[in-house]
Amino acid sequence: MGALGKPIILMVAMYVFLKFVLPYIPGSAPLPSSLIVLYLLLTAAGIVIFQTLSGESKDAFWGPMQRFLTGENIGGMQAIRYGVFILFPLLVGWQTYGSTAASDVPPSESRTIHPAPPGEYTGLSNPVQKTPENIMQGKGFYAAFCSPCHGANFDGKGPAARGFNPPPANFADPTTIAMLQESYLFWRIKKGGVGLPIEGAPWKSAMPRWEAELPDEWIWKIILGEYDGAHQSPRTWE
Amino acid sequence: MKPANLVMQRVLRGGLAAIAAMIIGGASLSFAQESVAVRAAIVTGGLPVDDPNAAAWSTAAPATFPMSPQVHWPNRIQEVTVQDVIVRAMHDGKQVVFLLEYRDPTQDPDDGAALEFMVGDKKAHFAHGQPMLQVEGGPVNIWFWKHKTDQAVDMTAKGFGTLKAQEHQDVKAKGAYANGTWKIVFTRNLSTDHPDEDVQITPGNFINVAFAVWDGRKDGAGELVEKGSQKAVSSWWYFRADAPPDYSGYMYAAIAVTLALGFQFVLIRKLKKGQ
Repeated sequence: MGALGKPIILMVAMYVFLKFVLPYIPGSAPLPSSLIVLYLLLTAAGIVIFQTLSGESKDAFWGPMQRFLTGENIGGMQAIRYGVFILFPLLVGWQTYGSTAASDVPPSESRTIHPAPPGEYTGLSNPVQKTPENIMQGKGFYAAFCSPCHGANFDGKGPAARGFNPPPANFADPTTIAMLQESYLFWRIKKGGVGLPIEGAPWKSAMPRWEAELPDEWIWKIILGEYDGAHQSPRTWE
Repeated sequence: MKPANLVMQRVLRGGLAAIAAMIIGGASLSFAQESVAVRAAIVTGGLPVDDPNAAAWSTAAPATFPMSPQVHWPNRIQEVTVQDVIVRAMHDGKQVVFLLEYRDPTQDPDDGAALEFMVGDKKAHFAHGQPMLQVEGGPVNIWFWKHKTDQAVDMTAKGFGTLKAQEHQDVKAKGAYANGTWKIVFTRNLSTDHPDEDVQITPGNFINVAFAVWDGRKDGAGELVEKGSQKAVSSWWYFRADAPPDYSGYMYAAIAVTLALGFQFVLIRKLKKGQ
Protein backbone atom coordinates (compact mmCIF):
# COMPACT_ATOMS: atom_id res chain seq x y z
CA MET A 1 0.00 0.00 0.00
CA GLY A 2 3.07 2.25 0.40
CA ALA A 3 3.25 3.23 -3.26
CA LEU A 4 -0.41 4.31 -3.17
CA GLY A 5 -0.44 5.78 0.31
CA LYS A 6 2.06 8.53 -0.41
CA PRO A 7 0.24 9.89 -3.49
CA ILE A 8 -3.03 9.95 -1.57
CA ILE A 9 -1.44 11.86 1.30
CA LEU A 10 0.17 14.23 -1.22
CA MET A 11 -3.15 14.92 -2.96
CA VAL A 12 -4.95 15.58 0.32
CA ALA A 13 -2.12 17.84 1.50
CA MET A 14 -2.24 19.75 -1.80
CA TYR A 15 -6.00 20.24 -1.50
CA VAL A 16 -5.74 21.45 2.09
CA PHE A 17 -2.97 23.86 1.09
CA LEU A 18 -4.90 25.30 -1.90
CA LYS A 19 -8.21 25.55 -0.09
CA PHE A 20 -7.31 26.54 3.45
CA VAL A 21 -3.73 27.85 3.53
CA LEU A 22 -3.15 29.78 0.30
CA PRO A 23 -6.08 32.25 0.76
CA TYR A 24 -4.56 33.44 4.04
CA ILE A 25 -1.14 34.26 2.61
CA PRO A 26 -0.97 38.09 2.49
CA GLY A 27 -1.78 39.41 -0.98
CA SER A 28 -3.55 36.20 -1.96
CA ALA A 29 -7.23 35.42 -2.44
CA PRO A 30 -9.48 32.32 -2.34
CA LEU A 31 -9.07 30.23 -5.52
CA PRO A 32 -12.07 29.40 -7.70
CA SER A 33 -12.94 25.71 -7.51
CA SER A 34 -12.10 25.20 -11.20
CA LEU A 35 -8.54 26.36 -10.55
CA ILE A 36 -8.21 24.05 -7.52
CA VAL A 37 -9.34 21.12 -9.69
CA LEU A 38 -6.79 22.10 -12.34
CA TYR A 39 -3.93 22.24 -9.81
CA LEU A 40 -4.99 18.88 -8.33
CA LEU A 41 -5.02 17.34 -11.81
CA LEU A 42 -1.52 18.66 -12.47
CA THR A 43 -0.41 17.17 -9.15
CA ALA A 44 -2.00 13.82 -10.06
CA ALA A 45 -0.36 13.87 -13.49
CA GLY A 46 3.02 14.58 -11.84
CA ILE A 47 2.53 11.66 -9.45
CA VAL A 48 1.62 9.28 -12.31
CA ILE A 49 4.68 10.36 -14.31
CA PHE A 50 6.96 10.00 -11.28
CA GLN A 51 5.57 6.60 -10.28
CA THR A 52 5.95 5.15 -13.78
CA LEU A 53 9.54 6.25 -14.37
CA SER A 54 10.92 2.76 -13.64
CA GLY A 55 9.37 -0.68 -14.10
CA GLU A 56 9.60 -1.42 -10.39
CA SER A 57 7.91 1.71 -9.17
CA LYS A 58 5.28 1.25 -11.89
CA ASP A 59 4.30 -2.17 -10.59
CA ALA A 60 4.31 -0.91 -7.03
CA PHE A 61 1.99 1.92 -8.09
CA TRP A 62 -0.49 0.11 -10.35
CA GLY A 63 -0.34 -3.24 -8.60
CA PRO A 64 -2.60 -2.37 -5.63
CA MET A 65 -5.14 -0.72 -7.92
CA GLN A 66 -5.24 -3.74 -10.15
CA ARG A 67 -5.60 -6.06 -7.17
CA PHE A 68 -8.49 -3.95 -5.98
CA LEU A 69 -10.23 -4.15 -9.37
CA THR A 70 -9.60 -7.78 -10.37
CA GLY A 71 -7.82 -9.61 -7.51
CA GLU A 72 -9.42 -12.59 -5.75
CA ASN A 73 -9.81 -13.16 -2.02
CA ILE A 74 -9.61 -9.49 -1.13
CA GLY A 75 -12.03 -9.86 1.79
CA GLY A 76 -13.88 -6.72 2.86
CA MET A 77 -12.57 -4.84 -0.16
CA GLN A 78 -14.94 -6.91 -2.28
CA ALA A 79 -17.93 -4.86 -1.10
CA ILE A 80 -16.12 -1.58 -1.79
CA ARG A 81 -15.21 -2.86 -5.26
CA TYR A 82 -18.88 -3.47 -6.10
CA GLY A 83 -19.72 -0.08 -4.62
CA VAL A 84 -17.26 1.58 -7.00
CA PHE A 85 -18.61 -0.40 -9.97
CA ILE A 86 -22.13 0.79 -9.19
CA LEU A 87 -21.32 4.38 -8.17
CA PHE A 88 -19.05 5.24 -11.12
CA PRO A 89 -21.70 4.79 -13.87
CA LEU A 90 -24.27 6.59 -11.73
CA LEU A 91 -21.90 9.53 -11.24
CA VAL A 92 -21.24 9.71 -14.99
CA GLY A 93 -25.00 9.61 -15.68
CA TRP A 94 -25.70 12.31 -13.11
CA GLN A 95 -23.01 14.60 -14.53
CA THR A 96 -24.34 14.07 -18.05
CA TYR A 97 -27.89 14.89 -16.98
CA GLY A 98 -26.71 18.02 -15.17
CA SER A 99 -24.78 19.30 -18.16
CA THR A 100 -27.62 18.77 -20.68
CA ALA A 101 -30.48 20.12 -18.54
CA ALA A 102 -31.71 23.56 -19.68
CA SER A 103 -30.49 26.40 -17.47
CA ASP A 104 -33.05 28.07 -15.23
CA VAL A 105 -30.79 31.05 -14.72
CA PRO A 106 -31.45 34.27 -16.70
CA PRO A 107 -28.56 35.25 -19.00
CA SER A 108 -25.83 36.95 -17.01
CA GLU A 109 -25.14 40.49 -18.03
CA SER A 110 -21.65 41.48 -17.04
CA ARG A 111 -21.54 45.24 -16.73
CA THR A 112 -18.45 47.46 -16.51
CA ILE A 113 -19.13 49.98 -13.76
CA HIS A 114 -16.55 52.56 -14.87
CA PRO A 115 -16.06 52.11 -18.63
CA ALA A 116 -13.54 54.28 -20.49
CA PRO A 117 -14.83 57.79 -21.31
CA PRO A 118 -14.67 59.21 -24.85
CA GLY A 119 -11.30 60.88 -25.56
CA GLU A 120 -12.61 64.43 -25.31
CA TYR A 121 -13.55 63.84 -21.66
CA THR A 122 -10.15 62.73 -20.39
CA GLY A 123 -7.89 65.08 -18.50
CA LEU A 124 -10.22 68.10 -18.39
CA SER A 125 -9.61 70.19 -15.30
CA ASN A 126 -12.39 71.81 -13.32
CA PRO A 127 -12.67 75.41 -14.57
CA VAL A 128 -14.57 76.38 -11.43
CA GLN A 129 -12.40 77.41 -8.51
CA LYS A 130 -12.64 75.34 -5.38
CA THR A 131 -13.90 78.12 -3.12
CA PRO A 132 -16.29 77.66 -0.17
CA GLU A 133 -18.97 79.58 -2.10
CA ASN A 134 -18.69 77.39 -5.18
CA ILE A 135 -18.72 74.21 -3.08
CA MET A 136 -21.79 75.49 -1.24
CA GLN A 137 -23.51 76.28 -4.52
CA GLY A 138 -22.58 72.86 -5.91
CA LYS A 139 -24.10 71.19 -2.86
CA GLY A 140 -27.29 73.18 -3.45
CA PHE A 141 -27.50 71.93 -7.04
CA TYR A 142 -26.71 68.43 -5.81
CA ALA A 143 -29.56 68.59 -3.31
CA ALA A 144 -31.97 69.70 -6.04
CA PHE A 145 -30.97 67.42 -8.93
CA CYS A 146 -28.91 64.50 -7.64
CA SER A 147 -29.96 63.71 -4.07
CA PRO A 148 -33.35 62.13 -4.95
CA CYS A 149 -31.38 59.08 -6.16
CA HIS A 150 -27.81 59.49 -4.87
CA GLY A 151 -29.00 60.50 -1.39
CA ALA A 152 -28.64 63.52 0.86
CA ASN A 153 -25.76 61.65 2.50
CA PHE A 154 -24.06 60.93 -0.85
CA ASP A 155 -24.53 57.20 -0.17
CA GLY A 156 -26.69 56.23 -3.15
CA LYS A 157 -29.69 55.71 -0.90
CA GLY A 158 -32.01 58.50 -2.00
CA PRO A 159 -35.79 58.06 -1.77
CA ALA A 160 -36.07 57.43 -5.54
CA ALA A 161 -33.32 54.80 -5.65
CA ARG A 162 -35.15 51.63 -4.67
CA GLY A 163 -36.40 50.48 -8.08
CA PHE A 164 -33.25 51.07 -10.07
CA ASN A 165 -30.94 48.29 -11.20
CA PRO A 166 -28.04 49.14 -11.39
CA PRO A 167 -28.43 51.16 -8.18
CA PRO A 168 -27.33 54.83 -8.09
CA ALA A 169 -23.61 55.20 -7.27
CA ASN A 170 -22.60 55.57 -3.62
CA PHE A 171 -20.10 58.46 -3.59
CA ALA A 172 -19.00 57.76 -0.02
CA ASP A 173 -17.71 54.35 -1.17
CA PRO A 174 -13.96 54.72 -1.81
CA THR A 175 -14.26 52.66 -5.03
CA THR A 176 -16.43 55.22 -6.85
CA ILE A 177 -15.56 58.91 -7.29
CA ALA A 178 -12.35 58.63 -5.25
CA MET A 179 -10.96 56.42 -8.02
CA LEU A 180 -12.03 58.79 -10.78
CA GLN A 181 -10.89 62.13 -12.17
CA GLU A 182 -13.19 65.15 -12.19
CA SER A 183 -13.34 64.98 -15.99
CA TYR A 184 -14.82 61.48 -15.73
CA LEU A 185 -17.64 62.72 -13.50
CA PHE A 186 -18.19 65.61 -15.90
CA TRP A 187 -18.74 63.11 -18.73
CA ARG A 188 -21.06 60.85 -16.68
CA ILE A 189 -23.20 63.74 -15.45
CA LYS A 190 -23.36 65.46 -18.84
CA LYS A 191 -24.21 62.40 -20.97
CA GLY A 192 -25.97 60.27 -18.35
CA GLY A 193 -26.90 56.60 -18.65
CA VAL A 194 -27.62 56.78 -22.37
CA GLY A 195 -24.05 58.03 -22.95
CA LEU A 196 -22.42 54.82 -21.69
CA PRO A 197 -20.64 52.50 -24.13
CA ILE A 198 -22.09 49.03 -24.68
CA GLU A 199 -20.02 47.44 -21.87
CA GLY A 200 -21.72 49.83 -19.42
CA ALA A 201 -25.20 48.47 -20.37
CA PRO A 202 -26.67 51.95 -21.08
CA TRP A 203 -30.18 50.51 -21.56
CA LYS A 204 -30.41 49.81 -17.82
CA SER A 205 -29.19 53.12 -16.40
CA ALA A 206 -31.68 55.71 -15.11
CA MET A 207 -29.03 58.48 -14.91
CA PRO A 208 -30.41 61.56 -16.73
CA ARG A 209 -28.54 63.21 -19.59
CA TRP A 210 -28.04 66.46 -17.70
CA GLU A 211 -26.50 68.40 -20.60
CA ALA A 212 -30.07 68.87 -21.81
CA GLU A 213 -31.01 70.70 -18.62
CA LEU A 214 -27.96 72.07 -16.78
CA PRO A 215 -25.20 74.43 -17.96
CA ASP A 216 -21.62 73.06 -17.82
CA GLU A 217 -20.69 75.47 -15.03
CA TRP A 218 -23.38 74.00 -12.76
CA ILE A 219 -22.13 70.48 -13.49
CA TRP A 220 -18.55 71.46 -12.49
CA LYS A 221 -19.92 73.01 -9.29
CA ILE A 222 -21.92 69.85 -8.55
CA ILE A 223 -18.66 67.89 -8.87
CA LEU A 224 -16.98 70.17 -6.28
CA GLY A 225 -19.95 69.77 -3.93
CA GLU A 226 -20.07 66.00 -4.45
CA TYR A 227 -16.42 65.39 -3.53
CA ASP A 228 -16.66 67.71 -0.54
CA GLY A 229 -19.93 66.25 0.72
CA ALA A 230 -18.77 62.63 0.31
CA HIS A 231 -15.38 63.43 1.97
CA GLN A 232 -13.46 62.16 -1.06
CA SER A 233 -10.79 63.66 -3.33
CA PRO A 234 -10.59 63.24 -7.09
CA ARG A 235 -7.92 60.96 -8.46
CA THR A 236 -4.96 62.84 -9.90
CA TRP A 237 -1.95 61.76 -11.93
CA GLU A 238 1.25 62.25 -9.96
CA MET B 1 1.14 -7.82 -15.85
CA LYS B 2 2.69 -5.23 -18.08
CA PRO B 3 0.14 -5.02 -20.91
CA ALA B 4 -2.58 -4.68 -18.29
CA ASN B 5 -0.72 -1.81 -16.70
CA LEU B 6 -0.49 -0.05 -20.04
CA VAL B 7 -4.19 -0.42 -20.69
CA MET B 8 -5.00 0.86 -17.24
CA GLN B 9 -2.74 3.86 -17.62
CA ARG B 10 -4.39 4.88 -20.86
CA VAL B 11 -7.83 4.38 -19.43
CA LEU B 12 -7.06 6.35 -16.30
CA ARG B 13 -5.54 9.22 -18.26
CA GLY B 14 -8.58 9.48 -20.53
CA GLY B 15 -10.94 9.16 -17.59
CA LEU B 16 -9.17 11.87 -15.59
CA ALA B 17 -9.33 14.25 -18.53
CA ALA B 18 -13.04 13.56 -19.02
CA ILE B 19 -13.85 14.05 -15.34
CA ALA B 20 -11.77 17.26 -15.23
CA ALA B 21 -13.64 18.61 -18.25
CA MET B 22 -16.96 17.84 -16.55
CA ILE B 23 -15.98 19.47 -13.27
CA ILE B 24 -14.49 22.58 -14.86
CA GLY B 25 -17.48 22.93 -17.20
CA GLY B 26 -19.85 22.59 -14.27
CA ALA B 27 -17.91 25.03 -12.11
CA SER B 28 -17.92 27.81 -14.71
CA LEU B 29 -21.72 27.61 -14.99
CA SER B 30 -22.21 28.31 -11.31
CA PHE B 31 -20.85 31.89 -11.59
CA ALA B 32 -24.07 33.19 -13.19
CA GLN B 33 -25.25 36.55 -11.97
CA GLU B 34 -28.18 36.96 -9.64
CA SER B 35 -31.29 38.22 -11.42
CA VAL B 36 -35.00 38.36 -10.89
CA ALA B 37 -37.36 36.92 -13.45
CA VAL B 38 -41.07 36.24 -14.01
CA ARG B 39 -41.68 32.68 -15.13
CA ALA B 40 -44.74 31.52 -17.01
CA ALA B 41 -45.39 27.84 -16.45
CA ILE B 42 -47.28 25.86 -19.09
CA VAL B 43 -50.93 25.36 -18.26
CA THR B 44 -53.30 22.90 -19.86
CA GLY B 45 -57.05 23.27 -19.64
CA GLY B 46 -57.55 27.00 -20.09
CA LEU B 47 -55.85 30.23 -19.03
CA PRO B 48 -57.52 32.71 -16.62
CA VAL B 49 -57.69 35.21 -19.49
CA ASP B 50 -60.42 37.57 -18.23
CA ASP B 51 -60.23 36.88 -14.54
CA PRO B 52 -57.75 38.65 -12.23
CA ASN B 53 -59.25 36.73 -9.29
CA ALA B 54 -59.20 33.23 -10.80
CA ALA B 55 -58.13 30.47 -8.44
CA ALA B 56 -55.58 29.33 -11.03
CA TRP B 57 -53.40 32.36 -10.19
CA SER B 58 -52.58 30.90 -6.78
CA THR B 59 -50.58 28.19 -8.58
CA ALA B 60 -48.38 30.71 -10.45
CA ALA B 61 -45.12 31.71 -8.73
CA PRO B 62 -45.10 35.45 -7.83
CA ALA B 63 -42.12 37.70 -8.55
CA THR B 64 -41.86 41.07 -6.78
CA PHE B 65 -40.13 44.07 -8.38
CA PRO B 66 -39.34 47.40 -6.67
CA MET B 67 -40.55 50.62 -8.28
CA SER B 68 -38.97 54.09 -8.48
CA PRO B 69 -40.31 57.47 -9.54
CA GLN B 70 -39.47 58.20 -13.19
CA VAL B 71 -36.46 60.56 -12.99
CA HIS B 72 -34.64 59.88 -16.24
CA TRP B 73 -36.32 62.60 -18.24
CA PRO B 74 -38.56 65.64 -17.53
CA ASN B 75 -41.25 65.90 -16.45
CA ARG B 76 -39.94 64.03 -13.44
CA ILE B 77 -41.68 63.02 -10.26
CA GLN B 78 -39.97 62.62 -6.89
CA GLU B 79 -42.42 60.38 -5.08
CA VAL B 80 -44.87 57.74 -6.22
CA THR B 81 -47.64 55.77 -4.58
CA VAL B 82 -46.76 52.26 -5.73
CA GLN B 83 -43.57 50.83 -4.23
CA ASP B 84 -43.66 47.27 -5.60
CA VAL B 85 -45.45 45.24 -8.24
CA ILE B 86 -46.09 41.52 -7.86
CA VAL B 87 -46.13 39.75 -11.20
CA ARG B 88 -47.34 36.27 -12.16
CA ALA B 89 -47.64 34.69 -15.58
CA MET B 90 -48.67 31.49 -17.34
CA HIS B 91 -49.05 30.30 -20.91
CA ASP B 92 -50.59 27.44 -22.86
CA GLY B 93 -48.24 27.36 -25.86
CA LYS B 94 -50.45 29.79 -27.78
CA GLN B 95 -51.37 32.63 -25.42
CA VAL B 96 -49.60 34.23 -22.47
CA VAL B 97 -51.31 35.89 -19.49
CA PHE B 98 -49.69 38.26 -16.99
CA LEU B 99 -51.19 39.25 -13.66
CA LEU B 100 -49.95 42.57 -12.25
CA GLU B 101 -50.80 43.18 -8.60
CA TYR B 102 -50.01 46.23 -6.46
CA ARG B 103 -51.19 48.21 -3.45
CA ASP B 104 -52.99 51.47 -4.25
CA PRO B 105 -55.07 53.00 -1.44
CA THR B 106 -57.56 54.70 -3.79
CA GLN B 107 -59.45 53.50 -6.84
CA ASP B 108 -59.37 56.32 -9.43
CA PRO B 109 -60.53 56.52 -13.07
CA ASP B 110 -57.00 57.54 -14.12
CA ASP B 111 -55.26 54.58 -12.46
CA GLY B 112 -53.11 52.83 -15.04
CA ALA B 113 -50.44 50.19 -15.47
CA ALA B 114 -48.17 48.98 -18.24
CA LEU B 115 -45.78 46.24 -19.29
CA GLU B 116 -42.81 47.07 -21.49
CA PHE B 117 -40.75 44.70 -23.67
CA MET B 118 -37.75 45.05 -25.95
CA VAL B 119 -38.63 44.30 -29.59
CA GLY B 120 -36.18 42.46 -31.83
CA ASP B 121 -32.53 41.73 -31.14
CA LYS B 122 -31.35 45.25 -30.30
CA LYS B 123 -31.22 46.42 -26.69
CA ALA B 124 -33.67 49.21 -25.89
CA HIS B 125 -33.36 51.74 -23.05
CA PHE B 126 -35.93 51.05 -20.34
CA ALA B 127 -37.22 54.63 -20.57
CA HIS B 128 -39.39 54.18 -23.70
CA GLY B 129 -36.44 53.03 -25.81
CA GLN B 130 -34.70 56.41 -25.41
CA PRO B 131 -31.89 56.73 -28.01
CA MET B 132 -28.45 55.82 -26.65
CA LEU B 133 -25.36 57.74 -27.76
CA GLN B 134 -22.88 54.89 -28.33
CA VAL B 135 -25.22 51.95 -28.85
CA GLU B 136 -27.84 51.54 -31.55
CA GLY B 137 -31.02 50.69 -29.68
CA GLY B 138 -34.30 49.13 -30.72
CA PRO B 139 -37.96 49.96 -30.12
CA VAL B 140 -40.11 48.91 -27.16
CA ASN B 141 -43.56 47.38 -27.11
CA ILE B 142 -45.83 48.73 -24.37
CA TRP B 143 -49.06 47.12 -23.17
CA PHE B 144 -50.95 49.93 -21.45
CA TRP B 145 -54.08 49.48 -19.35
CA LYS B 146 -56.24 52.28 -17.97
CA HIS B 147 -59.02 51.87 -15.40
CA LYS B 148 -61.28 54.37 -17.20
CA THR B 149 -61.66 52.12 -20.25
CA ASP B 150 -60.60 48.81 -18.63
CA GLN B 151 -58.89 47.96 -21.91
CA ALA B 152 -55.35 47.48 -23.12
CA VAL B 153 -53.67 49.61 -25.75
CA ASP B 154 -50.87 47.91 -27.70
CA MET B 155 -48.22 50.63 -28.21
CA THR B 156 -44.78 51.25 -29.71
CA ALA B 157 -42.07 53.75 -28.74
CA LYS B 158 -38.48 54.50 -29.68
CA GLY B 159 -37.54 57.47 -27.52
CA PHE B 160 -39.56 60.05 -25.59
CA GLY B 161 -42.33 61.69 -27.57
CA THR B 162 -42.64 58.79 -30.01
CA LEU B 163 -45.17 56.69 -28.07
CA LYS B 164 -48.13 55.76 -30.25
CA ALA B 165 -50.90 53.19 -30.40
CA GLN B 166 -50.29 50.47 -32.98
CA GLU B 167 -52.49 49.85 -35.98
CA HIS B 168 -52.87 46.23 -34.91
CA GLN B 169 -54.22 45.84 -31.39
CA ASP B 170 -53.19 42.41 -30.10
CA VAL B 171 -53.42 42.81 -26.32
CA LYS B 172 -56.42 42.40 -23.99
CA ALA B 173 -56.54 43.53 -20.36
CA LYS B 174 -58.94 43.53 -17.45
CA GLY B 175 -58.56 45.02 -13.98
CA ALA B 176 -60.19 44.29 -10.64
CA TYR B 177 -59.90 46.45 -7.51
CA ALA B 178 -60.49 45.17 -3.99
CA ASN B 179 -59.14 45.88 -0.50
CA GLY B 180 -56.69 48.54 -1.66
CA THR B 181 -55.15 46.28 -4.29
CA TRP B 182 -55.27 46.39 -8.07
CA LYS B 183 -55.07 43.13 -10.00
CA ILE B 184 -54.78 43.48 -13.76
CA VAL B 185 -54.62 40.67 -16.29
CA PHE B 186 -52.91 41.20 -19.67
CA THR B 187 -53.33 38.61 -22.44
CA ARG B 188 -51.73 38.22 -25.84
CA ASN B 189 -50.69 35.50 -28.26
CA LEU B 190 -47.08 34.39 -27.76
CA SER B 191 -46.30 35.47 -31.30
CA THR B 192 -47.94 37.97 -33.66
CA ASP B 193 -47.71 38.84 -37.35
CA HIS B 194 -45.89 42.11 -36.60
CA PRO B 195 -42.41 41.30 -35.28
CA ASP B 196 -41.19 44.86 -35.99
CA GLU B 197 -43.46 46.36 -33.36
CA ASP B 198 -44.59 43.47 -31.14
CA VAL B 199 -42.48 41.44 -28.74
CA GLN B 200 -42.32 37.81 -29.89
CA ILE B 201 -42.27 35.30 -27.04
CA THR B 202 -40.42 32.06 -27.71
CA PRO B 203 -40.89 29.48 -24.93
CA GLY B 204 -37.59 28.69 -23.26
CA ASN B 205 -35.97 32.09 -23.98
CA PHE B 206 -35.46 34.83 -21.42
CA ILE B 207 -36.58 38.28 -22.59
CA ASN B 208 -36.47 41.69 -20.93
CA VAL B 209 -39.55 43.16 -19.26
CA ALA B 210 -40.21 46.35 -17.29
CA PHE B 211 -43.24 47.76 -15.48
CA ALA B 212 -44.93 51.14 -14.97
CA VAL B 213 -47.81 52.24 -12.75
CA TRP B 214 -49.81 55.48 -12.48
CA ASP B 215 -51.83 56.26 -9.37
CA GLY B 216 -54.67 58.36 -10.80
CA ARG B 217 -55.35 60.34 -7.60
CA LYS B 218 -55.75 64.12 -7.75
CA ASP B 219 -54.16 66.76 -5.52
CA GLY B 220 -56.04 69.48 -3.60
CA ALA B 221 -56.29 71.62 -6.74
CA GLY B 222 -57.88 68.79 -8.71
CA GLU B 223 -54.73 68.08 -10.75
CA LEU B 224 -53.51 64.56 -11.48
CA VAL B 225 -50.40 63.84 -9.40
CA GLU B 226 -49.12 61.01 -11.59
CA LYS B 227 -49.59 61.37 -15.34
CA GLY B 228 -47.57 60.84 -18.52
CA SER B 229 -43.87 60.58 -17.67
CA GLN B 230 -44.68 61.19 -14.00
CA LYS B 231 -45.16 57.59 -12.98
CA ALA B 232 -43.64 54.70 -11.06
CA VAL B 233 -41.20 52.63 -13.12
CA SER B 234 -39.09 49.52 -12.73
CA SER B 235 -35.77 48.65 -14.32
CA TRP B 236 -35.45 45.89 -16.92
CA TRP B 237 -36.00 42.43 -15.46
CA TYR B 238 -36.47 39.07 -17.12
CA PHE B 239 -39.46 37.08 -18.33
CA ARG B 240 -39.51 33.52 -19.60
CA ALA B 241 -42.32 31.34 -20.88
CA ASP B 242 -41.35 27.80 -19.94
CA ALA B 243 -40.53 25.45 -22.80
CA PRO B 244 -42.45 22.16 -23.07
CA PRO B 245 -40.88 19.50 -20.85
CA ASP B 246 -37.75 18.04 -22.40
CA TYR B 247 -36.83 14.50 -21.38
CA SER B 248 -33.76 14.21 -23.61
CA GLY B 249 -31.53 14.78 -20.56
CA TYR B 250 -32.68 11.42 -19.14
CA MET B 251 -31.89 9.73 -22.45
CA TYR B 252 -28.37 11.19 -22.56
CA ALA B 253 -27.85 10.15 -18.92
CA ALA B 254 -28.95 6.60 -19.75
CA ILE B 255 -26.53 6.48 -22.69
CA ALA B 256 -23.74 7.76 -20.44
CA VAL B 257 -24.49 5.15 -17.77
CA THR B 258 -24.45 2.40 -20.43
CA LEU B 259 -21.13 3.65 -21.80
CA ALA B 260 -19.61 3.80 -18.32
CA LEU B 261 -20.79 0.23 -17.59
CA GLY B 262 -19.33 -0.95 -20.90
CA PHE B 263 -16.07 0.82 -20.10
CA GLN B 264 -15.88 -0.97 -16.73
CA PHE B 265 -16.66 -4.31 -18.34
CA VAL B 266 -13.96 -3.90 -21.00
CA LEU B 267 -11.45 -2.63 -18.41
CA ILE B 268 -11.92 -5.60 -16.09
CA ARG B 269 -11.78 -8.07 -18.98
CA LYS B 270 -8.56 -6.55 -20.30
CA LEU B 271 -7.01 -6.52 -16.84
CA LYS B 272 -7.93 -10.14 -16.23
CA LYS B 273 -6.59 -11.19 -19.63
CA GLY B 274 -3.35 -9.33 -18.92
CA GLN B 275 -2.89 -11.45 -15.80
